[in-house]
This record gives sequence, structure tokens and C-alpha cells, in this order.
Amino acid sequence: MAWFNNWLTDFCDTFSKCFIKDDRYMLLVDGIGVTIKVSLFAVVLGVLIGLLIALCNLSKNKVLRLIGGIYTDVIRGTPSVTQLMIIYFVIFAKVHWYKWIIAAIAFGINSGAYVSEIIRAGILSIDRGQTEAGRSLGLSGYQTMVHIVIPQAVKNIFPALCNEFIVLIKETAIVGYVGLVDIQKAGDYIKSNTFEAFMPLIGTAIIYYVLIKILTLALGRVESKLRESEVR
Amino acid sequence: MIKVKNLYKKFDDLEVLNGIDEHISKGEVVVVIGPSGSGKSTFLRCLNLLEEVTKGDIYVDDELITAPGVNVNKVRQKMGMVFQHFNLFPHLTIMENITLAPTLLKKMTKEEAVKKGQELLERVGLAEKADAYPAQLSGGQKQRVAIARALAMNPEIMLFDEPTSALDPEMVGEVLEVMKDLAKSGMTMVIVTHEMGFAREVASRVLFMDQGVVMESGRPEEIFSNPQNERTKLFLSKVL
Repeated sequence: MAWFNNWLTDFCDTFSKCFIKDDRYMLLVDGIGVTIKVSLFAVVLGVLIGLLIALCNLSKNKVLRLIGGIYTDVIRGTPSVTQLMIIYFVIFAKVHWYKWIIAAIAFGINSGAYVSEIIRAGILSIDRGQTEAGRSLGLSGYQTMVHIVIPQAVKNIFPALCNEFIVLIKETAIVGYVGLVDIQKAGDYIKSNTFEAFMPLIGTAIIYYVLIKILTLALGRVESKLRESEVR
Repeated sequence: MIKVKNLYKKFDDLEVLNGIDEHISKGEVVVVIGPSGSGKSTFLRCLNLLEEVTKGDIYVDDELITAPGVNVNKVRQKMGMVFQHFNLFPHLTIMENITLAPTLLKKMTKEEAVKKGQELLERVGLAEKADAYPAQLSGGQKQRVAIARALAMNPEIMLFDEPTSALDPEMVGEVLEVMKDLAKSGMTMVIVTHEMGFAREVASRVLFMDQGVVMESGRPEEIFSNPQNERTKLFLSKVL
């Protein structure tokens, strides 16, 4: 049992060195805050942009379709790190907002391209007869979209949107590139300050995992609520 | 009430309507019959502009509705449409299905619309289903709700696109009953159907369409007992 005692003492020492000493856990706590702020803001922005781009892509207007097409094409065709850095160091170079807001805008723009495809597919999944029924009653195209098509599409879109949200949270682990200290960067700091790799990195992974687990469970509840109104 | 002049409709290279001239007067119940692919449904859908007309003029109440710049939504409010597949809104209750358009389009207040909805549901024999969702109804019930929904806008004309084709046989009767009632009340109706018995009984006029034109038109007893056109004879010999 001696080896176990040794290992345990070792483990506790490293743990305390990595997380307790100098209040290092505060780095991680602040990091969690940054990750959540950036992700939440980005997901809201992403859904708004996604809806807009989806409507462009579905529009009869050629110019709008072209704009939507180019947007999706460019965003999906370049890495998100590159986009983040371009937006931070080029486009917002002269703007002195909170760093996390600029980062969130970058992720929102990125996410919007993917969300637009999710929304587009969701809208297309609604039977044409629904639109025709709405229009035949004299509703405008806009009224039909808002009151008939989108409410039905939301149920189909929701699971894919949750997935996109989860992907987005993990994607934000690159905000360290523009000098923000999120969970990942906090773990990284601890690693370089303590010269310990295992503890801070595994700790980082566990924090992400727990965050996403909580979110998945919460979203799963919302989804079953959405399905409740569906009496079959 | 509806005047159709020289109506053509093409889907890409497919010519579906090849010059239709028709005049439908107020209170008429016009039943359109013909083989599948003859353009009956397309003709009906052109009447409320669900299909874009390729060439020709359609007048409703002397307004040229095929003219550019016409407020299509206003035109459609005069015409109720009933579809083969009902197309009820599954996320709304039966009552909400009926009241959605009249309230959104500010034709009625919420209270008026609900009152009207109650009346209409009673008329189609489904008063107790107001709070149900479409998925809880049978096909025949759905179609009766769809008729009530169209009537809620107080239309002058009702268009029926094969309203009983997607129904189980034992449910056809209940829908036809509602339509008969409607015809008796003096509603102007254009009905595309394969129910020859219904056409014979209810129609004030029958149109036989084939190859995108109206081949023959007349009173039901003329068309069914003494068809003049060879195509009509051939068609009726197959379906009667």
C-alpha cells in the first residue's frame, strides 16, 4: 500500500500546487465566465445571422441569394481561428470594445453560416402545402412564414441547433489567440507557471465536459417540452 | 363572377393549359372532371394565382387579377380553397386554425373570429373539437375543418381541389355532405373531383377537361347521359 500512499500524497501536492496555491483556481473560475459570456452572446448572434442568411438563401431575389451564398461559402471555407484573428486584429483593430464582445461577434459570424444551413433545411422540411394553405387564405408571404412555417420548423431545427451550440462552446477554446483568458487559456497559464501538464489539462477537459453535460441535459428538457404540444 | 380568357399555363416545356375560356357566374356550382394530367387542378390553382399564369386573363368581379401589381393577397381573401391533403396547421388547435387568418388580416377581432369559428364548426358538425389539434382528427374531420377554415374569411367563391381523394372511403360522405350544404346555401363553387355521383347530384354545370382544354361543358344530365365529345364518352365509359 505504500505506493498508493506515495501516489496520493503526490497527487494532492500537485493538485494543491496547480489549483490552490496563489489562488490559481480563480483563473479557471474567471475562464469559465469568459467562455460562457462569449458562447452565449455568440449563439444569440449566430441564430440571428443564421435566420437572416437562411431567408436570403431561400429568397426569390437573386442578389439576396448571391449574398447568402457568398457568406456561407466564405465562412465555411476558412478556419475559425483565421476568422477570429482577422476580425480582432484587422476589422476591429481600431475599436476598443471589450475583447470578449469582439470575440463573440467573430464566433457569431462564424456560427451564423452553419446555423443558416440548419434553418434553411428546417424551413424546407415543412410541406409546401402549409405555405399554400396560408397564402390561399390571403396571408402575405411574410405572415405565412412567421405564423405558419417558422413555428413548425423550430421543432425540427432545435436538436441541430443544440448541437451547433455545443460545437460553438468548444470552438471558443481558441480565444486565447486574441488574448482572452477562457478555460483553455487559464489551464494553459497554470501549465506554464507550474510546469505541470497533466493536472491543468485534464482539469480543463473536465470543466468543459461538465459544462457541456449540464447544457445537454437542460436542452434535452427544453426539447421534450417542445414535443409535448405535438399530440399524435 | 369569374371570367377566364384564353388561359395558358406552361411548366418549363410542359404545356398544361392550352387556352381556356370560361365564365363562372355567381351561385354556380361548377364541377371539373377529366383524366389525371388533364390540367384540372392547375386550372383551379390558377384561379387564385397559386400558379403563375403563363398567358391569358382572369377576371374576378370584373377585376383583372392577372394584371401586374394586383394585390394578390386581397384577391385570395375573396376565394377560399380546400386542398386534397387538407393542409391544416398542425401546431395550432382547430379553433386557432380557423381564426388565424381573419384576425391576422384584421377582418375580425379575436372575439368575433372565435364566435364565427364556433358557428362554422357547428355547421360542419365538429363543435366539440375546437380545442383539439389536427393530429387528433380523422381525415374526414380534418377536411371539414379545412372547409370551415376557408369559410371563416367569408369568401365569395370556394375552390375545392380533389377534396375527397385522400380520404378513406367511409369518410368521403361526410365531406360531400358539407359541400352539398354549402352549395344549397348559394355559394359559388368550383370543384375538381373524381366523385361522379356527387357531380351529377350537386353540379349546376360540369366541365370535362382533357389535354389542357375544356372539351365539353354542360348541365350534369347532358354530360353524363348524353355526352357529345368522343373524349368525354371514352372517359365516362371508364369511370361510370
